[in-house]
Amino acid sequence: MGAALTRYRVIAWIVGVVLILLVVIGMPLKYAFDNPVVVETIGPAHGFLYMIYLVAAFDLSRRADWPLKRMLLVMLAGTVPFVSFYAERRVSAWVAAPQEARTPEPVAH
Amino acid sequence: MVTPNHPLRHGNYDTVSETGSAPGTLDAMKRLWTPAWIARHVAMVVLVVSFLGLGWWQISRATAGNSLSWGYAVEWPIFAGFVVYVWWREVKLARRREAEADAPPADPAVEPAPTVTTGSRPAVRRPVRVSRVPASTGDVVEDTDLAAYNHYLSWLNANPGARPGDYPG
Repeated sequence: MGAALTRYRVIAWIVGVVLILLVVIGMPLKYAFDNPVVVETIGPAHGFLYMIYLVAAFDLSRRADWPLKRMLLVMLAGTVPFVSFYAERRVSAWVAAPQEARTPEPVAH
Repeated sequence: MVTPNHPLRHGNYDTVSETGSAPGTLDAMKRLWTPAWIARHVAMVVLVVSFLGLGWWQISRATAGNSLSWGYAVEWPIFAGFVVYVWWREVKLARRREAEADAPPADPAVEPAPTVTTGSRPAVRRPVRVSRVPASTGDVVEDTDLAAYNHYLSWLNANPGARPGDYPG
């Protein structure tokens, strides 16, 4: 679970940063200054990084036994600029939360 | 952690009207034909058809000269496959939940095996360090190796599905 969470957090951070670059730098350059070079280079890269994000989110959701709704929400959160960072924090909190109904089994009688 | 997929949790399940049929029968199938489930089936079909259509559209764009579209043409069928997989998994989970709801309630006199199942796998509890009391104070000196082995066997018995490496003792 820890490794899956780390994988998810790393790719979530990368996707979040690339998405912000795309929205904050690429889009104004393309639509205000008619210079689409940033969008054309970062855009497809972000697309494929997002695919990796989806895979990592799916992997984590299976390991953590999330309900389907939460998995889909986390996947969608990666598409919204800035929200992806919030989602990553929420996910980390969910996974780090103490597991319910798992009391330790005493060894000695 | 909240685990609504927990197969043992069917608190809001109408178990009374759902008894009396074995899983795998037509009756069991009927429960996947409620309005909520029909909506899910329809959503699955709509998503798959539209994703495959989008894939086909990307193929036509790719053949028209947009080389990046080859990548998207591969991605859309994968998405369609993912939708089918998630749908199949939800169906499987629902049917398993039903089967457990239908199963006769466990004898309360018998202590249930102390395993926490998450999904289909038995989760093994975290090993805990406990200070051991001396095994016996009587004059019979117990074979400690044998006692340890017996404890190990009883632990294995109490935790079906656990691997030997998970033994906390």
